[in-house]
Amino acid sequence: MGFYLRMRRAMVALSTLSALVVAWFVLTTVTGLISSGRFPDPFATWAAMRQLVSPGYAGSTLVVHVVHSLTLVLGGFMLASTLGVSLGLLMGWSRKAEAFINPIFLLLRPIPPLAWIPLAILWLGLGDAAKIMVIVIAAFVPNVINTSTGVRTIEKTVFEASQMLGTPRWRFVGEVLIPASLPAIFTGLRLSLQAAWTTLVAAELVGALAGIGLVLNVAQQDIYPAMILSAMFVVGVLGWLMTLLLGFVERRALAWRTA
Amino acid sequence: MGSISFDNVGKVFGAGAGALVALEGITLTVADKEFVAIVGPSGCGKTTCLRMVAGFERPSSGNISVDGKLIVAPGPDRAVVFQQFALFPWKTVRGNIEMGLRNKNMSLAQRMPLVDAALKLMNLESHANAFPHQLSGGMQQRVAIARAYVLDPAVLLMDEPFGALDAQTRVVMQEELVRLARLNPRTVLFITHSVEEAVYLADRVAIMGRRHGRIKAIVDIKSVRLAEQWDQLERIEDVMEQESFVHLRSSIWKSLREEK
Ligand SMILES: Nc1ncnc2c1ncn2[C@@H]1O[C@H](COP(=O)(O)OP(=O)(O)OP(=O)(O)O)[C@@H](O)[C@H]1O
Ligand SMILES: [Mg+2]
Repeated sequence: MGFYLRMRRAMVALSTLSALVVAWFVLTTVTGLISSGRFPDPFATWAAMRQLVSPGYAGSTLVVHVVHSLTLVLGGFMLASTLGVSLGLLMGWSRKAEAFINPIFLLLRPIPPLAWIPLAILWLGLGDAAKIMVIVIAAFVPNVINTSTGVRTIEKTVFEASQMLGTPRWRFVGEVLIPASLPAIFTGLRLSLQAAWTTLVAAELVGALAGIGLVLNVAQQDIYPAMILSAMFVVGVLGWLMTLLLGFVERRALAWRTA
Repeated sequence: MGSISFDNVGKVFGAGAGALVALEGITLTVADKEFVAIVGPSGCGKTTCLRMVAGFERPSSGNISVDGKLIVAPGPDRAVVFQQFALFPWKTVRGNIEMGLRNKNMSLAQRMPLVDAALKLMNLESHANAFPHQLSGGMQQRVAIARAYVLDPAVLLMDEPFGALDAQTRVVMQEELVRLARLNPRTVLFITHSVEEAVYLADRVAIMGRRHGRIKAIVDIKSVRLAEQWDQLERIEDVMEQESFVHLRSSIWKSLREEK
């Protein structure tokens, strides 16, 4: 995309968002059409946000909550991606492996990741380990599916060219199999990151010592809508930033398609 | 060295009621440094012949050997140039050409001069660091040819390598291949739909029939080319205007027509 086109898109996005904030302001503060008990006005939300940043809320400051949540989500995401992409490569490459693993997969897939939370807590307690387990379960699946589909849709001639050139096994995996499936792998990674983030926030709602989900949970118990909204805002912005970062990595990694 | 020999080769796809006899009783020898083209109607089994030499398919009966050794698997001694190029799009031109040499465990110092020579031979020096999608079809096919040549293979296998190119690029590539064949003669098995291309490039042309994939006739071109001194002519259209060329072309063409 050209610089001007990008600027224009950014301007449009900015004006949409400003319009939304103005509407919010009009509906709450100015006209009172929505009562502040149900939905906080911009000022209350701003105040709650400042409180969250410092002195803090639900036991810690915003930075501590965010660092805690991000550590878990990135740890879980990386673990899930490493496992999921490896398994996906194996299942895409070997019909035998696929025949063995797929039935287990079909059995477990209809279970929503959040349904694992009770078992995870029972096994691993309310701490971080249980959350990592649930994140891994949630984030693992899209990686496996997309990677194995990616491998299976590689053109036959790519394999044949690689055989003809006498490519040894590990170089084949690293320089042919993985790059050829990389576009599909990244589709999986994007879905997986979303799943990891959603699942983490949900898991923290159930029980946590710190984290952005805990803020939401405590704010609900305190009947503090402005804080809920602030925390939701933080969840949204963090999710957006992570996707943005992954998109940046993807463009670098797939530069050979567009360079 | 590099001679290919088909000894009474048959190929059947599938089994039982759905079995399809693709090839039967193919016997053909391509001598060292000889350029043999195969022409024949669509579906007669040309690609299957080439894929068996490459090691991608196994004959159902008979033997295929290169330099007397039976073919068991694909390998860099039998380099293939695919119709759809089959380059690695995530590797640069240099990376693509270099891959086979790295697989032979050559050091960078050993590979560099070979890759540079291949780039020069195919007029690709200025695009060494480009990715395949940045190149035109003709250039991509030149990369594929360079990738095959640099392996220093015993035989080169080309399945309609210029089929995906437009007419002008095709002519340029044909001239290029003739130039290459003179500079650096190879054993080549070349498949094409174009009779003109076969007569222009090959030492011998094998004509395949439609029924049960047999070789119907083998036409010697080389003796005519030498006698008529086609090699003195610079451009492809000059060769194609020669009476001897026209005569060979139409006799092969007639033989093919009987098949349709
Ligand atoms: N893997 C396969 N499985 C089953 N049948 C096949 C397979 N490969 C080729 N065939 C059949 O074998 C016959 C010969 O095919 P082949 O591709 O060798 O023909 P061809 O002469 O190269 O044709 P074209 O000129 O159209 O490329 C065809 O009838 C084709 O359908
Ligand atoms: Mg064919």
